[in-house]
Amino acid sequence: MAEIEIRNLGIDYRKPNSDEVFAAVDDISLSIAAGEFVSIVGSSGCGKSTLLLSVAGLVKIARGTITIGGRPVSGPGPDRAVVFQDASLLPWRTVLGNVRFGLEMQRWTGGDLTERAMSMIKLVGLARFADYHPHQLSGGMRQRVNIARALAVDPQVLLMDEPFGALDAQTREIMGGELLRIWEGDKKTALFVTHDIDEAIFLSDKVVVMGRNPGHIKEVIAIDLPRPRTQEILDTPQFTEYRRRLRAHLAADMAGMHFMEEAA
Amino acid sequence: MITDVFMRRQALILGTMSFIIIGVLWQLVVDFGIVNPFFISTPGAVWQELLVQLQDGSLLVNTAATLYSFVLALGLAVVVGIGLGVLAGWFRDAEAALEPFIWFKYSAPTVAFYPLFVAWLGYGTPTIVAIAFLFALTPIYANTLSGIKNVDRDLKRVATSFGARPHDIFFRIALPGAVPVIVAGLRLGVGRALTGVVVAELFGANAGLGYSIAYYAQMLQTSRMMVPIVTVILLGVILTQALSYIEKRTEAWRVVHDN
Amino acid sequence: MAMVATSARDTGKSRAARNWRPDRSTVISMLSVAVFFILWQLAPEMGWVNGRFTSQPTQVLVAAIDVILNDDFFYHARISLAEFSLGFALALVVSIPLGVLLGTSRTARHLIDPPLMALYVAPTLVLLPILVVSLGIGMASKVAIVFLNALFPIVVNTIAGMSEADPKLIRAARSFGASKLDVFVRILLPGSLPSILTGIRLAVGRGVMGVVVGELFVSQAGIGYQLNTYGSAMRIDRLLVYALVVSVFGYLLTVSVRALENRVSTWRPE
Repeated sequence: MAEIEIRNLGIDYRKPNSDEVFAAVDDISLSIAAGEFVSIVGSSGCGKSTLLLSVAGLVKIARGTITIGGRPVSGPGPDRAVVFQDASLLPWRTVLGNVRFGLEMQRWTGGDLTERAMSMIKLVGLARFADYHPHQLSGGMRQRVNIARALAVDPQVLLMDEPFGALDAQTREIMGGELLRIWEGDKKTALFVTHDIDEAIFLSDKVVVMGRNPGHIKEVIAIDLPRPRTQEILDTPQFTEYRRRLRAHLAADMAGMHFMEEAA
Repeated sequence: MITDVFMRRQALILGTMSFIIIGVLWQLVVDFGIVNPFFISTPGAVWQELLVQLQDGSLLVNTAATLYSFVLALGLAVVVGIGLGVLAGWFRDAEAALEPFIWFKYSAPTVAFYPLFVAWLGYGTPTIVAIAFLFALTPIYANTLSGIKNVDRDLKRVATSFGARPHDIFFRIALPGAVPVIVAGLRLGVGRALTGVVVAELFGANAGLGYSIAYYAQMLQTSRMMVPIVTVILLGVILTQALSYIEKRTEAWRVVHDN
Repeated sequence: MAMVATSARDTGKSRAARNWRPDRSTVISMLSVAVFFILWQLAPEMGWVNGRFTSQPTQVLVAAIDVILNDDFFYHARISLAEFSLGFALALVVSIPLGVLLGTSRTARHLIDPPLMALYVAPTLVLLPILVVSLGIGMASKVAIVFLNALFPIVVNTIAGMSEADPKLIRAARSFGASKLDVFVRILLPGSLPSILTGIRLAVGRGVMGVVVGELFVSQAGIGYQLNTYGSAMRIDRLLVYALVVSVFGYLLTVSVRALENRVSTWRPE
């Protein structure tokens, strides 16, 4: 696992069919220690996914730097793996084939690919379904495969972009617990984008709150709750206090948005 | 700015360019002796012949004859295809009764029965129309059937909850909802009807583009033969494009689901 | 382990065998066919139609046996089959690589699309006279027409398959460091397989039509040749036998490709 240093990051975005350039995010600085689980929350349009994708190396950096373990980011690399909201599994491959995919792309030399893939599949609890095709699996299961694929390449940093966003509330809860179980084993540095406040607090060591126009960091809240975390934590007064703080931030954003719509 | 216009018109510009390129290639292939002009003629010679055939009216006469058979065949296919398709789409029994025949028609190459039609109707327009009719029937029927049969369940449920009866659902939901699919079937049917007419004309006719192709081929007059060939291709493109245009207009009728 | 909430859908593998009972639709279909055959048999005998023009099921059956035993049937069938197979094989060899190549470049696609679509819609059969003039009345011209007929559906559908690649899959692959070649070989190609098979299925129908029309137009042997002979001689029973042979062949081939198509498409996302 490695630490992430983001300094004065700026990312621009050009509207299609126009020459206007906007700053999607501007002057973002953030330090994430090795092994920390950090969530990023914020209302839509605040640039949280853009931030994550820039760390992944899939989005061009206009200003500032991102370094991981001291090395600057300039494109995708074997030290990072992304779990997207869309599972993006190859429909013609089995679960095993899909988990192997990342290893194949990176020309993995750390041993037998199938063995490694199977150990990841067991880790996410899908050993029985290794020969199934994606269309035979439920949404939650597909995301597990997605996670297994990302973990298989043993990244230094795990990047997750609203991975449970497309799942129903109950599945999301289960998957959150499962994710922590899986993560506890290795404690990789993790960046997790979500719009679900409870999920962010439950999973993380730190929650980064972002605001819009342009995307910037409003506050970084340290979550001082003991690990391992269980569902009971959600009812504790501490949790409730964190929740209140985060909701206040988002409510302010919503009010701001409402104001802007009226003015327009 | 210029780049903007270029982007939008990119398809059109490239399309026109490609036809020009084909014309140039055609000329070059002959000039360099790769293919004997006897077999494919040259753009220049064909152009000359085109003017001749336009002036003496032969091209127009033949095109008119082909279009005449085409319209008859297509008209029949539309009436029968949509009629039967609606019936089969709405009444499952009708679909079941028709299915074996449609399935056979779908797998059997209609042309194989061409000599049969000649035996029944002789050479000439009736056979030509019959063949083209059968060619065009399949996509029109199949699409109509599918369109009516697959009436959107959510819309049907809403209508029923407002007290709609079966005939209401048919006229106000099924039929309008099926229009895009039916038009797509018509687009396919148009291409096939034209093919059917021209192919049938190759064999036995005394007028029409297919007839003139066969006629000039027999006389080994390649340049003259290329004129109706190019005309057929152009006709096919124009007709299909016209249908595509109509199809795009009816896209607005497609049911959209918020997901 | 909390996995109860996320169970796999029933894949149908363990469905109990049901007793075979024909449902209403199947019965009606079978009745429909039966009625057709009965009418066909009766109509000439009742004087509704002239039997010389329509023949009868029984006559066709007798003719079928006669044809197979006495009529050089296999000779003609072999010729038509050879013409079809050669032309189709050539089409496959040319069209799939061509379609793949054209499908990868956006500019190439825009450039090629208009003439390609024009030729796809156009009756390639109009080139038959040219082909006969250049290649003669033997097998070569038929092989050529089958080739041309089968070429366009496969190319067009291959191009479509290549351009339908899911951008999310490509993004995921890139995030794992996939090179352009990786994306091409592992994502674009397998992803376009269903479309390619659809193109092949359409090409089969057109190819069969090509052989038949080619042989009807001019030939010295083959199924189309026999169709012509018996048509002129008003031997409708034998004519129908040959027509049915072609139909069955076309059907079997189409069904096989369809089965392949379905197998490959099962993993298609809904």
